[in-house]
This record gives sequence, structure tokens and C-alpha cells, in this order.
Amino acid sequence: MAQPFPYTYYSCDCYDSATLAPTSKRASHPARAEEEDERTFDPRNPRSNYSLYPLEHLLYCEDCRQIRCPRCVSEETLNWFCPSCLFEVPSSMIKSEGNRCTRNCYNCPICTSSMTVSSLEPPKVPTADDTGGLAGPFFLSCPYCHWSTLDIGIEFEKHTGITQQLARIRNGGKVVPTPKEREKERDKKRDAEARDESVAKADELSPEDLNPSEPPPQEELFSNLFAFYKSQLSLAAPSNPFSPHHDINFSSPSSFSRIMNLYSSTSSKKQKKDKPAPMREACSITEGLVPYNPSLDAAAVEALKTHGWSHTLSPTQKLHQTSPNTRFINELRPIPTLLRTKRGKRCRTCRHILSKPESKITSTRYKIKLLGLNHIPRLSVRALSSPIPLPTMAASTGSQGFDYARLSPGLPTHFLLTLSNPLFDPIRITLATPSTTAGKVQSRVTIMCPQFEVGANTDVWDDALSSGLTKRGATASTDPGSGTPQVEAGKIWDRGRNWTSVILEVVPGFLKPIPGFDFGLGGELAKKVDDEHELDEDDDVLEIPVFVRIEYESEVAAEDRAAAGAEHGRAGAAGGKEKREEAFWCVLGVGRIVGGP
Amino acid sequence: MTTATDRKVSIGRARPGPSRLQDLAATPESPRTPLLRSTSSIYGSPGGSFRSEDEYVVLELGSRYLRGGFPGESTPRCTLGFGPDEQRRVGDYRQWDPEYSTTRRKRKRGQEWGQEFELYRMDLSDVDLGLVEDKFERVMREAYNKYFLLDPKPRRVLLALPPLMPRELLSTVLSVLFGNFQAPSITLMSSPILSTVAAGLRSALVIDIGWAETTVTGIYEYREVHQRRSIRAGKLLSEEMAKVLDAELAKNESGSSTALPDQVSFEEAEEVLTRVGWCKSREDYPQASATSSDDDENEFTDASEIQPNETSISIPFLASRPPKTLTIPFSTLSSPAETALFASDTPLYDLDDHDQPLHLLTYHALLHLPIDVRGVCMSRIIITGGVSNLPGLKSRLLSELQAIVQQRGWDPVKSYGSASKRRNQLLRKRRQTPKTNLPHSAKSTESTDPTNPPVPLPAGLADPEPDEISAKLARLSTKTVPAATTLGGVIRGVESLGAWAGGSLIAQLRIRGIVEIEREKFLQHGLHGASREKEVSVVPQRQTLGPGVRPGAGDRGSWSLGVWA
Repeated sequence: MAQPFPYTYYSCDCYDSATLAPTSKRASHPARAEEEDERTFDPRNPRSNYSLYPLEHLLYCEDCRQIRCPRCVSEETLNWFCPSCLFEVPSSMIKSEGNRCTRNCYNCPICTSSMTVSSLEPPKVPTADDTGGLAGPFFLSCPYCHWSTLDIGIEFEKHTGITQQLARIRNGGKVVPTPKEREKERDKKRDAEARDESVAKADELSPEDLNPSEPPPQEELFSNLFAFYKSQLSLAAPSNPFSPHHDINFSSPSSFSRIMNLYSSTSSKKQKKDKPAPMREACSITEGLVPYNPSLDAAAVEALKTHGWSHTLSPTQKLHQTSPNTRFINELRPIPTLLRTKRGKRCRTCRHILSKPESKITSTRYKIKLLGLNHIPRLSVRALSSPIPLPTMAASTGSQGFDYARLSPGLPTHFLLTLSNPLFDPIRITLATPSTTAGKVQSRVTIMCPQFEVGANTDVWDDALSSGLTKRGATASTDPGSGTPQVEAGKIWDRGRNWTSVILEVVPGFLKPIPGFDFGLGGELAKKVDDEHELDEDDDVLEIPVFVRIEYESEVAAEDRAAAGAEHGRAGAAGGKEKREEAFWCVLGVGRIVGGP
Repeated sequence: MTTATDRKVSIGRARPGPSRLQDLAATPESPRTPLLRSTSSIYGSPGGSFRSEDEYVVLELGSRYLRGGFPGESTPRCTLGFGPDEQRRVGDYRQWDPEYSTTRRKRKRGQEWGQEFELYRMDLSDVDLGLVEDKFERVMREAYNKYFLLDPKPRRVLLALPPLMPRELLSTVLSVLFGNFQAPSITLMSSPILSTVAAGLRSALVIDIGWAETTVTGIYEYREVHQRRSIRAGKLLSEEMAKVLDAELAKNESGSSTALPDQVSFEEAEEVLTRVGWCKSREDYPQASATSSDDDENEFTDASEIQPNETSISIPFLASRPPKTLTIPFSTLSSPAETALFASDTPLYDLDDHDQPLHLLTYHALLHLPIDVRGVCMSRIIITGGVSNLPGLKSRLLSELQAIVQQRGWDPVKSYGSASKRRNQLLRKRRQTPKTNLPHSAKSTESTDPTNPPVPLPAGLADPEPDEISAKLARLSTKTVPAATTLGGVIRGVESLGAWAGGSLIAQLRIRGIVEIEREKFLQHGLHGASREKEVSVVPQRQTLGPGVRPGAGDRGSWSLGVWA
């Protein structure tokens, strides 16, 4: 996995509970609910990718007493800002201007790094403070890959308000009319068409002939279509003003006249007469109809032929473009920077706020932050240096470390599983794991001591003052070679103030299926087997699902907890104790198994 | 049209207003209430202000991409894929590893080509719906949080879906939208219809060349009247491209001794396809498709080798080890489209019903339409879907179609067997007369042809006598409707802005769909709550003006699944 070994993932079980709730209709999997209890967590299941999180990504709802993952919180946006200029954008702007920065922030369409505005003319007098001296046409350029708007033939007159300027320039420097101008133009054209229509029907094709090569850009077409539909709907409307689409308004003259005519005999006839004419379809480019033009296709093929691979865009570059029809490198536009948000998070079930950042944009602090880190014991794994001397291992890793990416199959390896307790109460832990891991490579896993206690997260000084010091020193001194005899079933390895570590024995499985007899298969035979049973990506990663159950007693009231933690010796006297229990699945990624024995 | 600008202003103000009323106000014909007259709610009617919460999010869901955005915008805010990189665990940042892009990933065992890039497939037997739910939820969360940047208010959803969708899948998608994203209601629209809307048409033949399959849908007056499908679509095309690239790579390798055959990964094949893939025009392709497949293939490869001066294209493969650049003739890049979409090398009798090549599929779809619908649809052919962006594909498809129609006419019988002689006679006879097999609507323009020889004809082939009444009706209708809209009988392609843009238009114009699902009702009953009848009238029967007017407009008693039922 991409995280360095060893790592721990925590599973949020929200998807289980979510599937149980509203979906009585999932009839195709009736057996699932029953299996739910006996099922062990399978980290290889593609679904588990969606429920596993590093501990740092988890929040904790104190009211539900549950882990909350990004899936089971609802988010609300507090404010919007541009990550590049850190300008806060009001929500009204978001509605009107969209989700991108409207100032001078642009990203390079090739490499997505942020672009800078620079002047074409070299500054004549190299005085830095002369801001007025910035002269001449400007352009946007990428400091990383040196793409610039000059490549698409765009220059700017001013160095501010790039968005407004860019909106008016098409690639190649042609000026685009603003939407308003376009609308006027369109109306003019349509009027002209209407006048012409009676005179000469023959030259209907004239609007298409006027611009034969290039269809208008998507935006313009869209607005043409929209205007067309709008006018058509409004034409259709009077014939049927009482259709329920419209909110009937008693005060409108049309309905008034209808009320007046309700009882008169003439009106009913009149009503019948004007049958609603069906809305017609668009018939010209000003109304949004673009007949297919084969010359464009031919041109695209020709461009491909002459310019080749480097002229085209990669899929990601294409996706970044706002216009979906961008194909070639000369059609690129600089990408306005996407705005970001600061979001508060609430628990989805009880609506309590789980985290809320400070609203100031440059501040990274939080007003409320209920982290899983502070409520869930942290499991961490590290290798206990291998008791069985291994020539390869010793050679490759030396004495200082253990190579997690090279676990040898078939050799028992010991890992130290340490649980540290963030709570102010001592906890009892029960661990469980399936004895063999799921998946293609079956490894055997044994937790030497599945039940133990972890001390409370008391003041650090308590630890220092108590006799813990000597103990720790002892742990540190256990050197790799001599540590073997201490591994003993049913006993914890070591403990400290708020942590306890136990031994995890792992026998990594074989990557290629061994038929059951010896390891000494011939090289070529093994190769053949290997080819047949090729492994997928990450099949060789040894991940151990562990079920963790915590029991502890704690004060009922949350605010007393700190006090109770400080002097937990007489916690029993305080009364109001409450037994609490939590359970969740964890996945320990201990390493990668190497191929050969 | 002075009112146009006024309207514009009121849109731009982002006041979620009763825009239907604005429509009313905009028409000059009859007197109308000024829009913004403030009526107190007691004396005024319960007007549009109550429905002001109709803010929409427009989504288009395909098997590989989700498009999402807001109504009134021409392009979606985001297009998100369902690739494996989007499915990693949180905190798994390997895709940003510089080495990641230069290593080639193998396809997982037992998975079909491109399977891990799909959200769903139509065959649900091996689809884990829970996984679909997970994927969809994650993508939607990304869309909402990263691209929509919404304020917390829940919004209605307009969801464009393919018209055939397994119910389980539909209910999974809906439950995510209702459950996790608190949508108050979801309107389902079928994507071919939205494509039609986005082309400005009422009727069309929508050829949607998607990922798993190509669907050809005949739309008449905004209704789907006929649909045909074929598996010749994006998936087959990219697989074919991978095969071609593999072969070319092997050819290049043959000199060196590396025995390991290099397999192009899905990403690479797709990148090559989208970047430099193209489709030959009909004239370019050697017309030998009638011969057997082997000959044809030889001829094809020969053709590409014979011309040494032909341009070739070099394609870098960074992920192969060592990185190499493959130089292949430009024409080779068009062969996947040839084999996968048009099946030019395969004799017709080898083709099954489910893998008809696109031009035949289109032809058959047209053939099975009623004749007047066919006339309208054939001149409104919309080619959409991801693959339709392949340069040259649209013109090829249209010209192939044109060729078939010229060759065969609209005769459902392909081979007359022993009767073919008689048939040929008939045809010859008919050829002397002007084409009578053109559909109705074209006739008005074509019948003016003066070269009508006065040969005595069998009654079936004779021109019908001019009908005074229908002529008059036609004249009347052309008075109100421009003649361009009555075009029919010729093959013509029309560009569409795509289903998403259609959805955006519809939501912006506040047109209500037939399938509108309310959150409460769905959460109570699921999809079983839908009424059985397919058509719920969106235009309820005439109602009297009175206190009982509102309920009919606001919410409907029952909801239906329309075409999805």
C-alpha cells in the first residue's frame, strides 16, 4: 500500500448500518443481513476500501459514542475562498459567478500549476518599485512548464481583471461579443429572418451559410437554445394559461378575464378554437439547431495526421478544461482556479457538530474538533526483530531495522502490537483475528495475548514519578538476538503508563500455491505455477484484520472526566460510573511478502 | 423583443422566482400582471412563491462517468470518473507517486476489460450493489464538496439516466441521493430525450455510442418509440485498440529477444484511443467488405504497408519497461473503429443480433419505425455518447447509412431468395418512376419534380391523388411554423449539446418530468411505492378555479417510474 509499512486502518461500520436501514428492497441479497454477525472483516473486499480510514481521518461523535468517518458526517460550507489568492468569496458570488476564482488566478492547462501574469515587454528601467512602469501587453505563463497564453494567441491589455479580458478573447485573439451583445445580435438576426421568411423561403440556409466552418461555442449554442425554448414556451402559454405548471394567480388579468368569461356563452367556443399549437423545433443556428458538418470531422482528422500525438491532450488535461469539446493543444484555455471551502461537519444521526474550523481563511485552527484520535485507542505495529536468524534478512536490513517490504513466507515473524489509550480511564481490550488471513495468500496469524488492560491516559508526570522508568529501560535494552524466550502465550509483552504491547505472531503465506509438500520446488516448475497464479496488485501485502473491543468505566458526565482522569484512584468513590463498550475492526498492514523462500 | 433583456435581468438576479410567470409576462399578446407586484399573501393567490425552493442539481449518470452541475449552465461543473484511482482507501496516495505513472498495472484476474473503471453494468448478477453504492456515494461527495460548493440547503436533483436501467440499480442510486445527499425530490429523465432537447428538436434518432453498448433510440415528439442496442461501443473499441497496439508492439519487439509479451494497460489503450484514434471516411476504406474476412484483413494490412510515404504517428509508452516510443502508421489507428464499430471485416452472417455494426443497427432502427416517424427521424440523427467524439466517426456513420438506404431502400426483406428475380423486375420498373418510397413529409417538396413520365403504373406505385384538405392543412401549418422544421426524408445529422445540457435546459425552464420521486415516499416504500401506470399526466385535466386548485399542481398523489417501471 502506499502508506509506509506498518500501518493501521480503522474501519467505520457506517455502511453496514446504512444498508440495513432503508433498503428493504435489496432483495437480491437476502442472506446478507444474517451473515452480518458472523462475517469477519475482509480487507481485500473492494468495498472495504470505502470503510477503512487512517485514524487521523476519523472524527468521533460523543453523543452517539461512535467513530464518524467522512461518509457518515454531513458537511456544511462555512465560507468559500480561492486557494491561490486567499480571497474570500461571498456566497452570492458563488451563485452568480460559479465555483471558480474570478480574479487573476489561473492554473496551467498542461501541468495545473498556477500561472503568473507577466509583461511581454521587458521592463525598460529595472526599478522594482515602479509599478506604473508595467507596460505593454501581458500574458499568463506557467512557471513550471512554460506554457503561456501566447501559445494560444492571447494577450491582455491590463494585468488585472484577467477573467473579464479572457472571457472576451477567443483563442487566436479574436474578440468575442459579450452575452448581452450576442443576445441583441440574435434578436436582430431573428427579426431579419422573420421578415425574410415571407419573401424568400429558398434561402433558409443562409444563416448556416454565413458561418459554415465553425459552429458557435457551446455556451452560445446553449444560450441560443435556452432563448428559443423560452420564447416557444411563452408562445404556448397563452393558449393554456391554466395548465398546472403555472401558478395560478387570481390577480392576473388573464385569469380575471377567464373568470369573467366563465359563464358567458361565447367564451367556451373561443376556448375551443385556439387549440394549443405544439411547440415547434428549432430551425436555425440562432435557435440552437446545428446540422452536422462533416468538414469539421475531416479537419480534425487532418490535424491529427499532421501534428500527431503531441498536439493532442491527455485525458486529465481534457477533463480539466471547462469546455468538453477541447481536443487539441491549440484549443486549450487557462483554467480558473477552483475555489475551496471551509466546511463544518456534523454527525449525520444526531446532528451534533463534530468539527468546525475558524472562519478566518488563513487560520488553520478549529473551534470544535472531536477527533477519533482522542477517543479511540491507537493500534500500532512494529516488528519485533525476528527471532529466527535469517541470512537474507540480516544481510539486507542489518541490525537497525526490519524490512517490512520483504516478509519471508513460511517463517514465523513476531510483531509488537501496541495499544495506547487516549482516554482518561483504564480500558480492557479484547482482540480477535481470523487465524488465517483472507485472500489468495493465506497467512497464519496468532495474537499471543488477546485480552489485556491498558492504563488510563493520566498526567505524563505520574508516569515519570512512578517506577515506569526502569521498565522502559529494560525494553530498550532487549537486543534482537536475545529477545526470543520472552514470547510467551497469554502474557503481555510490555506495558507503560497508557500503553500495552502484545506479541503478534505471523506466518506469512506463500505467494504461489505450494502443493503441500516441500519448499524445494524446482525453479522452472515454480515459475510455471507463478505464471498461472499471477497475483494482482497488492495481493502480496499482508494485512491482518483485527477486531478490537474496548470496555471501560467512565464518569457519566463528560466534564468530570478530566478530574477523574487526574485522580483516577478514587474514581470509584465519585459514583455515577458507567460501563461503556466499543468495538470496531482494524486492519494492520504489516508488510509485503516476497516471492521466493 | 424588448422583453428579452428584462427576462435576462430577472434570471441573472438569482432570485429563485416563479419563472413560469415570467414567461407569461414576457409574451406580448395579452395583458398580464406585472411580475413583481407585491401581493400580500392573504389576498393574493397562493402563487409561485411557495415553489421557490426549486433549486436543482443536474446529474447525468453513465456507467463510467458522472456529470454534474447546475441548471442554466452550458457545461457541467464536473465530470468524474469511476476509475481505480478514485477507489483507493483514504490516505492511500500512491497515485501521486512519481513512479506510479510509469508502472503498468495489470488487470485484475477474472475481470473483464475495463471492469474496474465502471460504476455498474447492466448484468447485475455479478455486480455488488453495495460497491456501486460506495462508489457512487464517494463520487457524489466529491462533486458536492469540491465542485458544487453548495450552501447546506438541500436541492432537488434532475437525474439523466439511460432509459433501461435495472430497478435494483436505480433504487441504489436513488437511495444514495435521498439518503446521503438529502435531495427533497429527484426527477428522472431519460438521456436520449434530453439529447433531443439539447439539439433543439422534438423528434430525433439518437445514437448513443456509450461505454458498454450503443443504443439507437427513435424519439418522436419527445417520446421514445423504438430502441435498439448493440454491444459495439466504447468497451469493444478500446479493447480492440489494445489488441492493435499489442500487435504493433510485438512487431517492433520481434527483433530483440525479450520473450515477454507486453500487454498494453487499459489506461494506455484508452489514452491512445482518445488522443489519436480516428475513423476512416467511407471513401477511404477499401470497399471490399463483401468478400470473406481473411482476404479483407490481408488487403487492409497490405494497404497500410504499401504506402510508405504515409504519415505515421509516434506514441510514447512511458509505463512500459523500458519506456519506449511506438511509431505506427496513421491508418492503423483507425482500424479499431473499423473492426469494433463497423465490423467491416466480418461477414454479415457472422453477426448476431446483439453485435450489429452501428450503421446496420441504425438502419434497422429506422426501418422499424413507422413510416412517418421514420421520415422525421432520419433527418434528425443525433450521434452522441463518449465514442462519438472520435474524429470522423459521425460522418462515416452517416455516409454508411446513406449508402445502405440508397442500396436497399426501406425494404425489410434483405434477400428474396428465389423471388428475387421478380423483385428485381419490380425494382427496375420502380426506378423509372420517381422514388415513391420516400416518406410522406418529404413528398411535399419532392413531388414538384417535373420529370414525371406519364407511364401507366400499378396502383400501389402510383402517386396518390392530391389531397386538397391535407394540402391546405400543410399550408396552414407552414404559415406558423418555419419550413425548415418540417424537413424530412433525407439523412441529416444534427449536433446535440448532450444529455447533460438538455437536463440543464429543462431544469432551468422548470419543466416537470413525468418521473418525479419525492423523498418521503421513496424512503417509505422504496421503488415499490411507484404506481403501476407508466404515464402520469403532467398536465392534469382541466380544473375549476377554486380552492381545490393547488394540490394538483404542487404534489401528485402517486408517482410513477415512467419508462423505468
